[in-house]
Amino acid sequence: MSSLTTTLNLAGHSLYNRRVTAALTIASIAISVALLLGVERIREEARTSFASTISGTDLIVGARTGHLNLLLYSVFRIGNATNNVTWESFEDIRSRPEVAWSIPISLGDSHRGFRVLGTNDDYFRHYRFSRSRQLEFAAGQPFDAVFDAVLGADVAAELGYELGDEIIIAHGAGAASFAEHDDKPFTVVGILQKTGTPIDRTVHVGLAGIEAIHVDWEGGVQRPASRRSAEEVLEMELEPEEITAFLLGLKSRVAAFSLQRQINEYPGEPLLAILPGVALQQLWEMVRIVENALLAVSICVVAAGLIGMLTAILTSLNERRREMAILRAVGARPWHVLMLILSEAGLLAASGVLAGLALVILVTAAIAPWLEQQSGVFITIQPPGVFELVIAAAVIGAAVLISLWPAWRAYRNALADGLTIRV
Amino acid sequence: MAVAEKVQTESDPAAVAARDLLFAWPGQDPVLRIPEFRIARGERLFLSGPSGSGKSTLLGLIGGVLEAGAGELTVLGTSLPELRAAQRDRFRAQHVGYIFQLFNLLPYLSVIENVVLPCRFAERRRQEALKRSPTLNDEAKRLLDDLGLGGPLLNRPVTELSIGQQQRVAAARALIGAPELLIADEPTSSLDQDVRGRFIDLLLAECESFGTAVLFVSHDASLGDHFDRQLSLAEINTVRGHH
Repeated sequence: MSSLTTTLNLAGHSLYNRRVTAALTIASIAISVALLLGVERIREEARTSFASTISGTDLIVGARTGHLNLLLYSVFRIGNATNNVTWESFEDIRSRPEVAWSIPISLGDSHRGFRVLGTNDDYFRHYRFSRSRQLEFAAGQPFDAVFDAVLGADVAAELGYELGDEIIIAHGAGAASFAEHDDKPFTVVGILQKTGTPIDRTVHVGLAGIEAIHVDWEGGVQRPASRRSAEEVLEMELEPEEITAFLLGLKSRVAAFSLQRQINEYPGEPLLAILPGVALQQLWEMVRIVENALLAVSICVVAAGLIGMLTAILTSLNERRREMAILRAVGARPWHVLMLILSEAGLLAASGVLAGLALVILVTAAIAPWLEQQSGVFITIQPPGVFELVIAAAVIGAAVLISLWPAWRAYRNALADGLTIRV
Repeated sequence: MAVAEKVQTESDPAAVAARDLLFAWPGQDPVLRIPEFRIARGERLFLSGPSGSGKSTLLGLIGGVLEAGAGELTVLGTSLPELRAAQRDRFRAQHVGYIFQLFNLLPYLSVIENVVLPCRFAERRRQEALKRSPTLNDEAKRLLDDLGLGGPLLNRPVTELSIGQQQRVAAARALIGAPELLIADEPTSSLDQDVRGRFIDLLLAECESFGTAVLFVSHDASLGDHFDRQLSLAEINTVRGHH
């Protein structure tokens, strides 16, 4: 039997003999490792989830602004557009031969804190999310009449709306707006299936509907002089003059770069076209600071766990001098005593890492459905990958490394005590 | 093996031979000065002396964990001062069995595991044990049986054994793999009067069957009758009046 097997075997028995302390040490390492792996897992899943909010769209076009700003307000309903795109430019660009489909987007109104998005039928036909999934209806159908509305799953669930309910749209994006289009209520005709994207928190209406509620408005207020009733409005020509942004799907993705350049140099008005993937990359770079901070915190927690182990081993050394003297008497050399302590640290850390891995899998399995419902972040349960293995090796390696200290002390004690038992 | 034994027989080394041995703790007066001390191979020697008279120091020197300040010390034909600490450790593991006064056993190992422990650290002890029994566990059981421990006792946690039983397990452990020298440091001082004699007889009988020399140390001179020879430390140690 090799010495390593012997010392590992002894370390295992010795730890089992002190199992309460050992279990606590393992638990603290397990929790810290689980936190580290969990943070990393959620980070990755959040990315995947963000990236899957928009799928199949080749270009996003809006008035000239920051790349990120356009991505955030057009896809994630975060922030506001500063300028609009004229309907003529939209018509012009979408009629280009390389364009397969287009989705106009008109933002700026809200309903009880949920954004209202004006669009057309193409939205339900062409919008794709999460690896090419299409929008599906939980109830009802797409809007048809001017004052029809289709609700995202969360809007319907949180506000308790059903088909046929009437809703009032407010001017502006705030939750408590004083300027309401209360003279022109909309009827719920459709409710979408849950998507796990910002669509769930969006009220969809036709572009005509957006026009209709704004015909008698100017500069953010309703003008009493030109006030029109809902019936009167329906008689009018409701072609929008402006939209906020539009999504383009191309016949060939290769064309994306040249069309992007053409749009960015569009002579009619200053426009900006972005590739969603590239813009997402920029977004990641911005949130990387936060991610790194989180990662640093979890690494500190792992360090705290390992220091806990170090404390436990150091405290145990004094009460184990007898154990060491007995081992010396039966032929263990001081070197074996050193190995015994290192084996012990290795065993503690390895058990902690294993327990941590199990903990991550259990916790993610337990919270996955809830997290998906709450934040749209869908977590897949995966076997440990390269990252997990690297972390496992690093934690065990660090544990053994820092245990050189108590191991050295035990070694010195063993040399000094010899076969004399000091208690 | 046979050749090695022959070489040793020819040179006829004693189990222990010391000449002008001197030991002092750093910065202190000498504790031990032994002009001449010898244990023959297979001899069973009883060494008595009051506590603090330097008995443990002598055992430390012979066990190779302490280094003499001066003098010659040969154990089984090997001169210990010429060995490095690691070599002395290895030498002790192969050739010397050890019994403490008390608490000899690792509480987290079973009785059998405790007994076979020396075979895990010393190849020679393992081979010698396997010469006598098919497996290490069998040899451990055989030794325990000879020492009057057997059956259900073997499956008990060592912490539940009486002190007398623990010392017998310690004796089996010190003897497994037939070490040429057994050092026993007051192994009976925690035992009741009536168990002491029986323990010593069993131990010595086992040592005889292995041809193991015994250095048995105790402050209780009444135990000396069991042994081939009795000696008081005061007779060989010229340092006096310290305590």
